[in-house]
Amino acid sequence: MVENGNVDNVQEFMQEQVNKMFELNGTLKLPTIGPMYAFSKDFSSYANDFVTLGKDMVELKSNMDSYWSLVSAAYARAVRETVERAPKQLTTKEDFENYRRASIEAFEENFTALFTSSEFSEVYGKLFGSQLNVSKAMQSIVEKNFKTLNLPTRSEVDEMLKDIVELKRTVRDMKRSVEARNDQARIAT
Amino acid sequence: MTKQELQPDQKEQNVQPVQGEPEGQIKKEPTLPEEIKEAYRKLEKARSILHTAGNIEVGETPNEVLVEKRAYRLLHYQQLVSKTARTPILIVYALINKSYVLDLQSDKSWIRSLLSQGFDVYLIDWKAPTAADKYVSFDDYVNCYIDDCVEAVIKRTKVEKLTLHGYCMGGTMSAMYTALHQDKVRNLAVIAPVIDGQKDFTVIGNVAKNMDVDKMLHVIGNLQSEQLYALYSTLKPFKQGINKYLNLLQNIDNEEFVDNFLRLEKWLYDTPPIAGETFRQWISDIYKKNLLVKNEMKLSDKIVDLSTIKVPLLNVIADEDHLVSPQCSAPLNDVVSSTDKRIMMFHTGHVGLIASHYSQNNVLPKVGQWLIARSQ
Repeated sequence: MVENGNVDNVQEFMQEQVNKMFELNGTLKLPTIGPMYAFSKDFSSYANDFVTLGKDMVELKSNMDSYWSLVSAAYARAVRETVERAPKQLTTKEDFENYRRASIEAFEENFTALFTSSEFSEVYGKLFGSQLNVSKAMQSIVEKNFKTLNLPTRSEVDEMLKDIVELKRTVRDMKRSVEARNDQARIAT
Repeated sequence: MTKQELQPDQKEQNVQPVQGEPEGQIKKEPTLPEEIKEAYRKLEKARSILHTAGNIEVGETPNEVLVEKRAYRLLHYQQLVSKTARTPILIVYALINKSYVLDLQSDKSWIRSLLSQGFDVYLIDWKAPTAADKYVSFDDYVNCYIDDCVEAVIKRTKVEKLTLHGYCMGGTMSAMYTALHQDKVRNLAVIAPVIDGQKDFTVIGNVAKNMDVDKMLHVIGNLQSEQLYALYSTLKPFKQGINKYLNLLQNIDNEEFVDNFLRLEKWLYDTPPIAGETFRQWISDIYKKNLLVKNEMKLSDKIVDLSTIKVPLLNVIADEDHLVSPQCSAPLNDVVSSTDKRIMMFHTGHVGLIASHYSQNNVLPKVGQWLIARSQ
C-alpha cells in the first residue's frame, strides 16, 4: 500500500490493484462441485489463461518501455555528439558529406556501446522472455481449442517429435555398432 | 561486418569519373537542379537493380552432389589444376546463413583458391531445418551428419584420414568432431571458431548472457530467420544499416562495385532458421556455461574433451572480427594437446577473412602453405 508516497510503494500498490483486477476466479466464486462442476472447471481454466495472457502483456509493455528508454537515451547521446562533431554550417557539398560521416560515426559508437552493455543484455533478456511468455499464453489458449475440436495439440505433436529424434539416434547407434562388429569379423576372417 | 569486409577495395569505393571529361580541365560544379536530377537518376537505377538483385549468381565453381539427405548435401568440387595434395579437405560450414559465401564470386572464392592450390575439396552444405527438426542437436550434427560425410569422403578418396576445415560455428563443430573421432582426422584447420564463450565480447556474446533459450525452445522451437535478422541489426547498425546503402547509391554506375554489393547482400539476408535444440546448446552450453573450453560439454553420452586433440591444428583468426571475438577463438590452441599448432591472425573481419581480395592475397596463400605441408 502507499505509505510514504514513494515510487516503490506506488508501484507495489498498482501491481496489487492489477492482480485484483485479473482475479476473475475469486471474484466470481463459481462452485467447484455439483451440477456446475464441468462449466466451472472449463470457465476457470479459460479465465486463468486469459488472466495469464493479460499479466504477460502488462509485463511485456513494461519491459518494452525499459528497452525503448535505453534506445532513446542512446539516440539522444548520438544526436548531441553529431551536433558537436559535424560542421556548424552546411554550405558546400563537403559540409554535407562531413555531416553524414559525423552522424554515422556518432550513432554507430553510441549504439554499439549500448548493445554491448550489460544493462542492455539484461533488459533485452527480459523483453525476449516476456515476448515468449505472451506467445506461450496464447499457445495455451489455442491448444485448448484444438482439444475441443478433437485435434492433436502442439504439445502432443512435440512429444512425438522428441520420440522420433530419440528413435533416429538409437537406430544410428545400433547401425554403427553392427557395422563395427562386421568390420571386426571381416578382419578376424 | 566491418567496412573492410563489405567494401574491401578502395578502388571500388571511388565514385566513377564523369564520362568524357578531359583531364586537366577545370570541372564545372553542377547546379542544384542538375544535382537533384542526378540523385533521382541514381535512386531510380538503384531501385531497378535491387528489384532483380536476387537473381545474381553465386557459388559458380563447378561441383557435383555426392550425397543428399534431408539435413545436408555433400558437394565435391571439380579439380581446376592437377591434384598435388593427397589428403582431401572437408569443409564444415556454419549453421548460420548459407555456405556459398565460401564461393561468392570467382575472384574472391575460398573454395576456388584451395582448388587452384591443388587440393581436393568437399563441402557440407547444410539445408534449412524444418519445424520437425526442433530437437536436432549438436550430437546429430557432429556424430551423425559430419561423421557420415567424413565416411563418404574417406571411402571415395581411399585415404584413412582427411583434413577437417570449419568456418565459424562449423569450426566449433569440427573441433568437437575431432575430439570424438580423431582416428579419421589428419589435420584440423578452423577459421574463427567459437570456443571460449566467456571471452566473446561481441554483441552476440552480450545478448546471449541473458537469453532464456530453454523457454525459447519450448515456445517457438527453431530460431527463425526474423530473430536472426533482429540480432544482426544490432551489429554495426549504422555503418551496415544505412551507410552501405548510401555507398551503393554513390557507386551505382560502378558495375563491379554493384555486383560485389549484391552478392554479399544476397548472402547476408539468406538466413535459414537454426534447429531449436542446437541453438539452445549453442547459447546455453557454449556461451553461458562455457562448457566446451572446460571440456565438460556432452554430446549424447560422450564428453567432448578438446584436450584429447593431438592432430596438427591451424586456427585462423581476424583481429577485427565483430561476430566472434579473437579472444574467444584463440583458446582452442591452449586447450588441445597437439604439438603442431598455430594461430594465424589477420587484420580483417569475420567475412573479410574468407570472402575478400584481402583474404585471397594474404590469408589463403598462408593457409594453403600450412595445409600442403601436412597433406602428403
